[in-house]
Parts: sequence; C-alpha cells; structure tokens
Amino acid sequence: MSTQPPPKPVESAQLLVDLVNNHLDPGYAAAAERRGPDAAPRWYDRPAVIVGCLLSGFILVVAYIHTHRGAPEATRVHDSLVTRVRAAQQAGDELANRVADLERQLSAALPKSGPLAKNLDLARLQAGLVAVSGPGMSVTLDEPPQPTASPTPGRGGTTGIGATNILTDRDVRSVVNELWRDGAEAISVNDIRLTPTSAIRFAGEAVLVDFQPITPPYEIRALGNPDVLSTNFAQSAVASRYQTLKGAENIGFSFTDEQQLTLPASASVKVRYAKVAHK
Amino acid sequence: MIVAGIALLVGIALGLVLRPTVPGWLEPYLPIAVVAALDAVFGGLRAWLDGIFDAKVFVVSFVSNVTVAALIVFLGDKLGVGSQLSTAVVVVLGIRIFGNAAAIRRHVFRA
Repeated sequence: MSTQPPPKPVESAQLLVDLVNNHLDPGYAAAAERRGPDAAPRWYDRPAVIVGCLLSGFILVVAYIHTHRGAPEATRVHDSLVTRVRAAQQAGDELANRVADLERQLSAALPKSGPLAKNLDLARLQAGLVAVSGPGMSVTLDEPPQPTASPTPGRGGTTGIGATNILTDRDVRSVVNELWRDGAEAISVNDIRLTPTSAIRFAGEAVLVDFQPITPPYEIRALGNPDVLSTNFAQSAVASRYQTLKGAENIGFSFTDEQQLTLPASASVKVRYAKVAHK
Repeated sequence: MIVAGIALLVGIALGLVLRPTVPGWLEPYLPIAVVAALDAVFGGLRAWLDGIFDAKVFVVSFVSNVTVAALIVFLGDKLGVGSQLSTAVVVVLGIRIFGNAAAIRRHVFRA
C-alpha cells in the first residue's frame, strides 16, 4: 500500500546531525529574520546583555571558588591531624621527662646505703625502672633495601601485608625471647626498655613495643655476659633462621658484641592488681 | 560588545568579592550551570560575529538552558539516573561550545 519509506530513522538521525553541525541556537537566526536587517535597537538590549554577561561571569567564578575551596579543606584536615600528632608526641616527651625528673627525686629521697637500698635497687633494675649500662650485644633487624612487593599480577589491592613488610612483631619477639634465653639481663628494642610486663605486638603493619610504634631497623640491645650471649645467640635456631632470610629475602640482620651499652629506663610498669603476698 | 566584556569582568569581580557559599542542595547543578553559561557566552559571541546577535535571545536562551538542564538533572536525581543525565547535558552543551568556538575561530582568524 504505502511505498513511502518510514521517515523516522532519518528524523532521529537528523537530531544527531543537528547536534554536531548546528551549534548556534536557532533562536538567533529566527530573531534576525523576524526583525529584519536594520532593526532599531530596543530599550532592553543593553541591560539584557549586561545581565547575561554578569550572570555568566558570576557563575563561572562561583564554580571556581567552590571547586578550590574543597582542596584547602583536605589540606587543613591533614595539617590539623599532623599538628595533633606532633602535640601528642610532645606531650609524651614531656611526660617522659617528668617521669625521669620524679625518678631522680625519688632516688634522692630513698636511702643510699644499707640492705634495704640494695634490695630496692636490684628490684628496680630487674623491673626495668632505672637506666642500666654494661657489656652486652646488639642485634639489628632491617627490612630489605627495596621492598620486594613488586606489582603482582592480578586484582589490585590483593597484596598481603606479608608481601610488603617481611619483618613483623613475631620476628622482633623471637629475637627478644632468644636473648632472654641466652642469658640477657636487660633488653631494649629501639631504645624502649623491656620490662616484665612489656608486650611486643603489631597494629596493621606497625610493630608496637609497650604500645609505642617502632619502625625498622629494629635494634635490639641486651645486657649480659657478651661472650655467653653472642655464642648462645649465634648457635640458636633464631639466628640461623634470620641468616637464611638474609640470604633469601635480603633482609638486614647482624649482631655484635658491645663492651659498653646503656639501656634507658622504662616508665610503663604499672602493677595494679598484684600485691606482695605476706608470708 | 565592550559593555558585554565589562559586564563579564564585573560579574567575575563580584564573585571574587562576595565569595558566596553554594548551598548543598544547589551543588549538583553547579557544573550544569557552568556549562550552560559557557554555552550562552560562546553562542552569543558567535551570533554577534555572524551579525545576528539578539539580546533577548541571548538572555532567554541562557536562563532557559540553565533551568532546563537543572530540571533534567533534578528529575534524574529523583529517578536515580542523575549523574548519567548530568553527563548527557554536559556532553550536549560541550559539543555546542566546541562548535561555536570553532566558528568564532573561523571568524576571527579566517582559518
């Protein structure tokens, strides 16, 4: 019946053609045609142009300001976090200084001689409450120079913690335990003195010693008879494990005898529940 | 023409001085308004170069473009396709801006 081709596809295609080819609002051409070539200017011509341009400039600037106001916001949050961390660190340092100060006052007030003073000194030394010095050895554990976490094939974000950080709290703990076993009398990890209540743990990728985060290289220093300590340590399974890791994964591992080491005091022993049992 | 340029600069200065905060509900429409404003400016400039500029068409097309674009995005937001429609508006107006800029270039440089 009808030989006419359906006009629809052409029309919808025309829309796209118009979109790409006719950029100017058809209203301009229509208005120009309606008004003729030499139309008299109307009273609202100039104000309309002014209002339109004013609005355009205003919108552009508002958008610009709005976009760039967000960036300083993020910086501000970051800065405030940094400031807070710094302040907390400073507060921690001040408290540590205060503890040292009070310790000095305390030791000045305590009896200087006699069996009581001797007992007290020994107890405080064993509890890690005073700084100690003497011969010993130090063990250093370090991450490989370049992290071995090369971009692994596969989905992003699947690289495990173990792939980026080889050394964890477990390694520090095993060295510390080995040193205790080898006859160490006092141990510090990255200048944090270990006490009878110290814990070496992890949070995310950070190693925590008594809840203070430490970063590699991990330097574990132990006081004791240097010969006995280093001989026992060198023969231990722990040392041979890290020697193997040093060859296989390129971690840093070394230990040396020290003739003179000074370990800082710890302020973290808080005995709240245990009491002396009277015989 | 000079008046239009001055008005544009005054609008920019006004925005810099007032530094208005954009309320949250208006935020999604800001990119749309920007693209519509650019489209109006480039369209007006091209029409002026073509010799068929009309102030009424300029203002009405500007206002109606912003309004219709915002309405489309608003409707899309309510129906869950807001970001897609927003992209569509930006693409359509962007093509127009680009085409008008090319026409202006041909007028100015004869190339």
